[in-house]
Order: sequence, then structure tokens, then C-alpha cells
Amino acid sequence: MSFTLRAVKVPPNSVNLEEARSRVFEIFKTACRSIPSIMEIYNLDDIVSKSQLRSIIASEIRKNANVTNPKVIDMLLFKGTEELNNILEHAKQRHHVIGQYVLGPQGLVQDLDPKDQGLSSFLKNFYKSNYF
Amino acid sequence: MAMKSALKSIRERGLGSFLRELKEEGFLRALLDGNLMQTKLHNRGATLVGVDKFGNKYYQKLDEQFGRHRWVEYAEKSRYNASQVPPEWHGWLHCMTDHTGDELLMLKPKRYGLEHRENLSGEGEEFIYHSKGHFLNPEQRDWSRYQPWEPSKKE
Amino acid sequence: MGLGLLASRAMRPLKYSNSRVFIRSIVSKPELQSPEASSAAAATALEPDLPPRSPVGGARVHFPNPEDAIEVFVDGYPLKIPKGFTVLQACEVAGVDIPRFCYHSRLSIAGNCRMCLVEVEKSPKPVASCAMPALPGMKIKTDTPLAKKAREGVMEFLLMNHPLDCPICDQGGECDLQDQSMAFGSDRGRFTEMKRSVVDKNLGPLVKTVMTRSSVPHNFWLNRCVRFATEVAGVQDLGMLGRGSGEEIGTYVEKLMTSELSGNVIDICPVGALTSKPFAFKARNWELKGTETIDVTDAVGSNIRIDSRGPEVMRILPRLNEDINEEWISDKTRFCYDGLKRQRLNDPMIRGVDGRFKAVNWRDALAVVAEVMLQAKPEEIVGIAGRLSDAESMMALKDFLNRMGSNNVWCEGTGAQPNADLRSGYIMNTSISGLEKADCFLLVGTQPRVEAAMVNARIRKTVRANNAKVGYIGPATDLNYDHQHLGTGPKTLLEIAEGRHPFFSAISNAKNPVIIVGAGLFERKDKDAIFSTVEAIAKKGNVIRPDWNGLNVLLLNAAQAAALDLGLVPESSNSIESAKFVYLMGADDVDLEKLPNDAFVVYQGHHGDHGVYRANVILPASAFSEKEGTYENTEGCTQQTLPAVPTVGDARDDWKIIRALSEVAGMRLPYDTIGGIRSRIRTVAPNLLHVDEREPATLGPSLKPEIKSEMDLTPFGSAVENFYMTDSITRASKTMAQCSAMLLKK
Repeated sequence: MSFTLRAVKVPPNSVNLEEARSRVFEIFKTACRSIPSIMEIYNLDDIVSKSQLRSIIASEIRKNANVTNPKVIDMLLFKGTEELNNILEHAKQRHHVIGQYVLGPQGLVQDLDPKDQGLSSFLKNFYKSNYF
Repeated sequence: MAMKSALKSIRERGLGSFLRELKEEGFLRALLDGNLMQTKLHNRGATLVGVDKFGNKYYQKLDEQFGRHRWVEYAEKSRYNASQVPPEWHGWLHCMTDHTGDELLMLKPKRYGLEHRENLSGEGEEFIYHSKGHFLNPEQRDWSRYQPWEPSKKE
Repeated sequence: MGLGLLASRAMRPLKYSNSRVFIRSIVSKPELQSPEASSAAAATALEPDLPPRSPVGGARVHFPNPEDAIEVFVDGYPLKIPKGFTVLQACEVAGVDIPRFCYHSRLSIAGNCRMCLVEVEKSPKPVASCAMPALPGMKIKTDTPLAKKAREGVMEFLLMNHPLDCPICDQGGECDLQDQSMAFGSDRGRFTEMKRSVVDKNLGPLVKTVMTRSSVPHNFWLNRCVRFATEVAGVQDLGMLGRGSGEEIGTYVEKLMTSELSGNVIDICPVGALTSKPFAFKARNWELKGTETIDVTDAVGSNIRIDSRGPEVMRILPRLNEDINEEWISDKTRFCYDGLKRQRLNDPMIRGVDGRFKAVNWRDALAVVAEVMLQAKPEEIVGIAGRLSDAESMMALKDFLNRMGSNNVWCEGTGAQPNADLRSGYIMNTSISGLEKADCFLLVGTQPRVEAAMVNARIRKTVRANNAKVGYIGPATDLNYDHQHLGTGPKTLLEIAEGRHPFFSAISNAKNPVIIVGAGLFERKDKDAIFSTVEAIAKKGNVIRPDWNGLNVLLLNAAQAAALDLGLVPESSNSIESAKFVYLMGADDVDLEKLPNDAFVVYQGHHGDHGVYRANVILPASAFSEKEGTYENTEGCTQQTLPAVPTVGDARDDWKIIRALSEVAGMRLPYDTIGGIRSRIRTVAPNLLHVDEREPATLGPSLKPEIKSEMDLTPFGSAVENFYMTDSITRASKTMAQCSAMLLKK
């Protein structure tokens, strides 16, 4: 408990958007640096490659690309750091990481194709499984 | 008495082989390992009842206190543990029976029955048991209930 | 608690009398109006106060002649039954289940297990109810101490020589002997001697025997299997050898069971003496999930139950359907299931430039197929449905190809120019159960024993029951009943049509003549001439009357009838020679020799069978045990399969693949659900939606235009070479391979 608190201490608020932006890049770099140890901890070598994990992290960050309020960004950064710490501390199990990141809730994250936008729901379901 | 027999064997076989024997019998190790030393001291005057297929020696000394009158000196001098005793000797050693392991071995069925193996827990990754579906089991079982068609087979 | 109990006791008679009063107030009005009804009401009021019972297994009493009804009393119940019923049947109608081993309603009566003993008043000894005809005024008592003691004694005798190996017996859990010894047996045995043991017999690859389990104290013989083999299956393979306790069942000289119905002895054996060899030690019956579905390995559409455990089909059992398969199924149906686990296509695959298949995802596979398809000219696109296709997917395939502008869609096995206009021209008009009324059969170019074993069992039943005459035209074959081999080809057919052949008089003199034409003749070039000759025979022999239609076609494949109903007919007979794009929907037996080398072949199916080797793209589909689909059997009865197990790998249902492909190709089909396809089918063939109903053909062959073409005099061939291997599932099955190897060796 105390360790977690030490690791995830709340940084001072960002003054403006630029500072928040640089912090985002900071956390992205930290996360990318920890990819090798994540793959080691959770035995992910035969499931994803490092570059895929990197793009998964990037897409997680891009999900919030529309946020402009520095306070909100700070909050999201805090959550991201916390999550990263949890992963690195082995607070999750292998299937948590696979389920949440490698396979998204929509199936394989890398399978989510931007081309699918115009398809009917039948075809989208068809590509996913036989049972719908 | 012990000195006398030691001197006798030095005289008969030479100093080199005496020392080698001392080492093989674990006397050198006994200097550091109190357990082994105690066993060695205990062995004096005891009868050697039998030796099992792994080389463990089973001793008995009836004028000892009851409960300490049967013991084993493991063949393995550095890394011994109780699971190295094979089942046929287990009963004798624990005073469950007065039949020695050699006698009980004759009752062992010829056609089946696995060879005794010591417990290798904590001896490294390759000795850890992983269930047949375990991710780290090198012979991870294939759970698929059907056999897919192999495209290259018949071409 | 005591108070409550007391109160409820006090309340009950009160309530009861109240309700009586209430009922009386209702019937009071007709009582006044009609004296007869009032006396009937009085009679019911006088009846002994017994709990009401319903007949066992919903047994129905059919009175062929009202005068023949007799009255018996079962446990004091008065009961009207037709003359000729046995005591056991009377008890069943009365709702009393009599324990039995040797008695089976579809086999002859043996009366040798003695388990069904009941007490009859004024009879000195208990009587075996299965063999005793019920007599008027008989007073039958089924739960007296005498009857109970008799059963207990019989049970003890039966268990005397039965081994105590229930824990390792495959019958355990569904064993009559287990159940009945729990219900009627003694709580201890007095048997201290050594048990008898018998050496097991080898009955071939399907049936496993543990002869020690068939209990033979003295001459009691359950011998259901012997009676089944001689009566239903029509082989004299099983018989009894020896006398006394040395008596045992054997195949004479350990002959293998050669019947195509041999698997049914597993079901009728009440103990574990005959069990399924492929199923041996695979599962216990209480772990299995049963799915009631139908069989697609032949055109009969036998009703089956697929027992599965997890994603695996463990066994297939028959389901009772009096109109189709009674309670038997053929060995092919019962044992083909291991084919469902082998050689499965589980990923979409594309053949690369090096000629090797590479697994891809559905997106890429469908994109490639759609691209090639859009480049082909409409008349160069051909679609062929396989013999196991369901009606929904055939409808989708036809709609899709029609949208692409092609009309070359057909189902394999229906020939080049199938007649899909008159429904009476391709279904079994008499219906399978209707065959029992026939007294003369003419089989033209069909061997029902290998083409549709259940139809053959019906014919055999009819031949045994009323000595029907059977004439057969075709290559020499072994039908397991008496038949006249009239000839091998159209020549004999012509002779009969012209009335020159002696069998013609048999047809014209018969009360209910039946002509069965094999669907193997669809492939012949002169099929129109053959069919018009057969119709001429039918006309002259008075085979088609308003009350009787005896002109039948025996189809070969499960998909055929539905395909013809849906109008899957090729536009031109030689479309394969000019095709550039061929869509095989499970079609494995199409002759692709004439196909141009640059043609693009898509194979959609569930097994890596013949069709795969010419394919450019493979789309994995689900097998009949994995999907919901409509099938029509040879007599025009529509039935549906239900999914018993999940699909394997990345496979999809057939109609979904076509629906998805149509969207990728930009010709989106208007249905998204199976209900949507069914409402589309309603506009084409509404009879395919009337599930479990037989839809007879409305128009007879008289409307058919006159055809003047010469018959080719080459003799008829046999449509099915190997009974055990007819489609992709059975060809993948190891059990079926063993069976056909046995068959060839003999």
C-alpha cells in the first residue's frame, strides 16, 4: 500500500496545455520503456509484438485526443500512471492484460479496421463470430 | 577402536585410497553438516540391516532408546531428504513392520508399478509439475476436439 | 406443525365435497334434458374411487372394428380394449407399466424372460402377460403380493449369472436390468456359486459384445437381438447355440453382422451385452446433452438424438417417429459421427501462386471471392449446392447468384435437366409409412437397401406382414427379402409397359401396387423416356387412383427434395464447360473434369473432401450437427436440424457466408436472420415451413407433357457404390472406413 502511494504520487497541476501535452508524451515514453518488462512478466511474447503493444498504448492515449482541459488531462494522466504501475507491479494476471489490452472488448484490437465503418451490423458480427 | 580400524585400513590400502574413501563416505562433509556427523557417530556399533537400490543404508541398534533405534544414512550426502527412501523401506524405517525392504520387495508386482522417484520440489523449473493445460507445460495438451484438414497433406 | 396438519386434514374432505357439489351444479342442466347422459354420470359416480391413470407412454387404442372390443379389469379398473391385445398391452392402456425384458413392441413375442408375470383371477399360477391374450372379463392384478414375489424371483434368476461390472459397463445408467432390479429386485442375493463366463464374440467394428452380461440362467433368453436380426434387419446372422446353461448367442461361425441396421441391437439390448464399439468407454450417459435433430446422410431424414459432451458429438441415437424411421436408424446414421471430428475445415484459405493453401481471415477471403466474381460474366458463374445443404442456404445461394445475373444453380445428384415442375415427379408419393399398405412392389433402378436403409426396412416389414411381391429391375443385388430379379435395364421396363412381362399382371392384379424409381436414374440422359415408360406402367396398372398414389421416386440425398422444391435447376446443361467462376456449396461429387483450367473455384463446406482439391478459395462452413437448417426428406416431409455442438474453428453457417459475401460483392441480400430467409422461402416453397408435416404433391403426373424420346438400352447402374461412404462426413469417418473395408473383404 505504502509502496503504491509512493509510486503514484500526485504531481502538481499543469499550468497550461503545453505542459500537459509534454506530460502526455512523457507517460507514453515511460510506458514504451516498460514494454519489455511487461512482456517478460506476463509472457506475452507469443501473443503480441512490441510494436503492437506500442500502438495499443498509443491508441489508448488517442482515445482521449479530444480532451482540451488541462485539469482533465492531469486526471487522465494520473489514472494512466496508476494503471501502468499496477501492471508493472504484477497486480494483474496474464489474462487481465490480454483481455484488456491485447484483445479489446471488441476482439483483437489490431483487427479493428477503420474500413469497417460503412458495413452493416450483420457483416460486422459475421467477421467476429458465428453466433449472433 | 575406531582409530585402530582406521590405521589398519591405511596400512592395507594406502593413504590415498583411505582419504578418497573418507570423502566418498561423507566424512569430510560431516565436518560441516552436524546432521550427517551425528548419523556417522550413531552408526558406530549399529547393525547394517540393508542397503536399498539407491544406496541408502539402513541401520538398527536395539540398545538405543526406542524410536531412535532405526535410521537411514542417505546415499546422497549433500542433498538428502526423506522422500529418497523407497516405499519398501518406509515401513521398516517407521516401525510399521519388522520386514525389511528387501523382504517386502519380493511382494512387489512384476508387471506394473512405477519406479520410486524422490520429490524434486524446489529443484528447478523443469521439476515443477505443471498441469496438462498449463501455459508453461512444454507438452501443453491440445484441447481441441477435432482434427483440422491439413492442406499440404495430399498434394 | 401439528395444528397445521390437523387443520389441513380437516380441510381436505371439506374441499373435496365442495368441488363435487360444484360439479354437480354444472351437469344438472343436461341431466334434466337427456336421461342417457344422466345415467352415464351416475355410472361414473359409482366408479371405485381410484386415482386416475394415463396410458403408459401415451399409448393409444385403435379399434379396427367396434364389435371386437372386450372388457377387462386391470387392478379393478374396467377397460375396453380390442380383441387380440395381450394382457401386457391391456395393462399399458390402463396406465400400468409392466416390467419386461424379452418383450418388445416391434418384435415377435418370445415370452421367455418371465419378468412380466401378473396375477390373473382364477388362474392357478401367475401368467406371463406379454404372451397371454386378454380374454373378456379377465381380472388382472398387477400389484398383488404374488405378482411382486414372482418378479422378485425372476429378477434373482436373471441376476444369478449377470456379472457385477456395472461400474465399467457402458449400459450403466440406462440399463433396464439396473432399473428393474432397483424397482423389483430383492435387496440381497442368495447366489454363492461361481458365475458363468462366456467368451466374447467379434461382431464387427460397430457392435461390441460382452457375452457374460447376457444373463442366461436356464433357458431364459432375452434374445431380443436374435429376433431383431431375423425379423427387422433380415439377416440370419445371430442365433442360439447349445442347450441349458451352456446356451449362448452367437453369429454362426462368428460371422460378422452384415446388416445395415446392426446398430439397433445396441438399443434393444436391455442389458449391457451388446454395446456400441466406437462409443465404448468414451462417456457416461448422464454427462451427455441430448439434442433432438434429424439425420442427413440419406434422403430418409431419420429422426435422431445427438448426444454431445461439450464441443464433441459422442453418439447418435434414434428417436421415435412412426412415419419415417419407427425407432430404428441405419448404421451409417448411427456411427458416422466420428467423421464430424476429422478433416474439418476451420479457417478460410486462399490458394497462393505456388499452389499451396494459406489460412487467411474472413475479410480477405470474402474480398478475393467478391472481386473475382464481379469480374466474371454473369453466364459464366455457376453455383452447385451439395448433398448435405439445408434449404435456407440453397435459397440464399440461388438468390445471390440470380442477383449476380446467373441462373446456373443446381444441387448435385439431380442430373442435368431435373424435372422440378411437378412435385409428384420427385417425391415418394405413397409416403414411407404408406408402403405398409402395399402388396406389390416394382423397384426400378433402385436398391433401397443401400440407398435408404429405413425405406428398405419398411418394404421388408410389408413383405413379411402381407407377403407382398417384389419385382426388381437393376444390377444384381442382395435385397434382404424375397424378390424377383426381373432384369437389369430399360428392356425389361419396356416389356412390362407393353404388358408382355408376367410381372405386369402382378401389378395390375394388386390392390395397392407401388412403383419405386431410384433417383440414380436422374443422371441418365434418357431419364425422361424412362420416367414416361414408368408412368405408362402406372397408368395401365392402375397404380395412381384418387385414394392411392403408388408412383414413387426414392431420392438419394438429404438436400435433393428441398433443392427441387426451391427450383434449383440449371439453365443450361453444359454450363460447367464454359464456367469461369464456380461456387461449390459443399458439393463434392460434381465432375469438374470438364471445367476450364482458368476457372476460379470457391469451395464452401465443412470437410476437406473431393471438392477442396480443385478449389482456389475455401470457406469453412458448419456441419449439420452445428446449425439450424431445414431439410425435406424423400417423402416430402419437412424437418429441421438443431445445433447440438458449436462450430469448429472459424467456421460460419452456410447461409451467413453467402449473405456476407453478397454484401461484400455489393449485391446485398435482404435478410439478416434465419427467420428472414424462411419468410423468403415462404414465397417460393411454403411447404418447407410446415415443419414435421408431410406435404403431399397436389398434382399427379397426368399433367405432364407427352415425351417422345427413345430409351437407351444400357442397363441401370447402381447409384450408391458403398453404403458406408456416401458424403463428406461419412468419407471422413474412421468407423465407416472400417465397415466398408470389412464389406469389401467379404
